[in-house]
Amino acid sequence: MAHPEPAGHEEEEHHGSPWPVIIAVGMGVAYVGIVTASIPMLLAGFVIFAGGAGGWIHQDMQRPSSAFYGLAAAVESKLPRVSARKLGLWLFLATEIMFFSAIIGASWTLRLRTTTLGDAFQGPWAQPGEILNVPLTGLNTFILICSSLTMVEGLAAAERGDQRKLRIFLLATLLLGMTFLSIQAFEYQKLYFGEGLTFKTAPFGVNPLYGPTFYAQTGVHGSHVTAGVLAMAYITRKAFKGGFTKENHEAVELVGLYWHFVDVVWIFLFTIVYLI
Amino acid sequence: MATATATETAGPHKEARKRPYVVVFGILAVVTLAELNVYGLGIPHLETITILVVLATIKASLVVAYYMHLRYEPRWIALIPLGGLALVAVLVAALTATSVHP
Repeated sequence: MAHPEPAGHEEEEHHGSPWPVIIAVGMGVAYVGIVTASIPMLLAGFVIFAGGAGGWIHQDMQRPSSAFYGLAAAVESKLPRVSARKLGLWLFLATEIMFFSAIIGASWTLRLRTTTLGDAFQGPWAQPGEILNVPLTGLNTFILICSSLTMVEGLAAAERGDQRKLRIFLLATLLLGMTFLSIQAFEYQKLYFGEGLTFKTAPFGVNPLYGPTFYAQTGVHGSHVTAGVLAMAYITRKAFKGGFTKENHEAVELVGLYWHFVDVVWIFLFTIVYLI
Repeated sequence: MATATATETAGPHKEARKRPYVVVFGILAVVTLAELNVYGLGIPHLETITILVVLATIKASLVVAYYMHLRYEPRWIALIPLGGLALVAVLVAALTATSVHP
């Protein structure tokens, strides 16, 4: 059993965990529930998924966050070292770029076609500020930019080993993210019930496709912010329990990467949906 | 500038450095304010759209380079998002080509 470890592997500590498998089983059961239109199976899948996620989070909360370089070691001789988790997250973000591009691209295509066809196709597209509250969303954009600053300052504090500032900045990021979502919920409520911008109708004779494309684009982004807020809540709690050190804080960096990506998506969405 | 980038990509555990996070934040805030006031300048519609897209690209590039640390990472990491963007370019070209003449 005397297998020599490759250089740089001595410090690695491998943690076996059953929870990812349980999460995968839960997602599989839920998917079968969706495909077969079986609500009980869908709910069972969600319960298994939630149990697996809870167990994984609970297990991870017990130990400090650390980088894992095992898989990246294979290409280490040719390329500078990057943690396998960070590499995985960047690959995930590349898929997210394509996901958002598909949503925005579909909406943009509908807009171009309705603009070309004009009034002959159930009315024109809305002008900037005609239906949407641009100043309010401008404020929300500023809030998201502020959250990116607090996030990156939190990571810088973790790199310095400054526990107090790490906790303050992560908490600030969490609160700013929740504020963004609250304002978006307020905006949705005003638009849907006040202005009459629904999935089928639009005010002021605007094309009825304007509503669904607006809710699809901002909705998928909002769901991503929600996921980011949940992740932020997790690392904030872990930070308050002393789970991050100067040497071990990779989870902060990875959640930060995701958070900034969501900010980047919003920068384009704000321009495309609200300003153009 | 290139030298500084090369030295900062040396290891996985980088020492905390003085990075221009607040300066970048200031630029992002000012550009956002500019975006909100572009229509007040009375520029033709197509030029306004061009300006807004350029401003958004500047903001996004700053966030990716400094807040997502792409400027400080090994350069090959940039190939991953660029790969996604290359496919986006294909999508945009295809959609634009098919949407102009419905």
